[in-house]
Amino acid sequence: MTSGPANLNSDLIPLIEKQVRLLGSSNVDCVIIGGVAATLHGSEIPTSDLDVCYSRDPQNLERLAKALQSVDARLRNAPRDLPFILDAETLRRGLNFTFWTNVGSLDLLGEVKGVGYYEDVLSGSLIFELFGFPFAVVELGRLIAAKRAAGRPKDLLMVVELEAILERQLQAKADEHKKEIKPDE
Amino acid sequence: MAVKDDDYFLNPPPGSAAARAVEFGIDLTLTLENLRLSPEERIRKLDDHLAGIAKLKATARIIGRHDERTSKPK
Repeated sequence: MTSGPANLNSDLIPLIEKQVRLLGSSNVDCVIIGGVAATLHGSEIPTSDLDVCYSRDPQNLERLAKALQSVDARLRNAPRDLPFILDAETLRRGLNFTFWTNVGSLDLLGEVKGVGYYEDVLSGSLIFELFGFPFAVVELGRLIAAKRAAGRPKDLLMVVELEAILERQLQAKADEHKKEIKPDE
Repeated sequence: MAVKDDDYFLNPPPGSAAARAVEFGIDLTLTLENLRLSPEERIRKLDDHLAGIAKLKATARIIGRHDERTSKPK
């Protein structure tokens, strides 16, 4: 599988793949959360941007700043003409950011309400291979906790679906456990 | 779009429909960006997004899990 920043210039590659490749090829330590995580867990509710919880380690902030600079990232919730210097120091001084970039909208969270900081979000996360890069994806129970903590109708709608997916996973696990105990039944 | 429109979506006036949308969970910064596009560009963007999600679902595979306590890959 091909990977790397060079691929980001092609119009034939969907934006979400470009975002994943950008973070992956830049070796940014992060956990995929939000709607894309829900999609990877099986949700059918559409999402329009990539949300990640990122490590606040100084070296990671440097890598993240470089990656964002390479796609001309600018703050989404500020007027376009507002002066903004995007470097590791700016990321260190803030916590949660929403960006426009040349590869679509990207939300970077230092803290996820209902779950905690990067280490809390990383704990128990699944590791997916996405477009050739290993990515942590928030564990389903924590994703539900985050959506519940956000508490908005839009989030609560997703909670209902995610809880159904989780319940089915737990049922399947229980069934498998029963088979292991009583293989003949 | 005029700066006034940007203001409306970025700083919704209390009691406005935009404020209600934000309360519901709609990210109006994304809505604003869509409004900046032509209708054709909006359709292309939607197509692109759907293609991306489909590709993500088709190619993603689980290769491990981080430990609950140490956060190291198992």
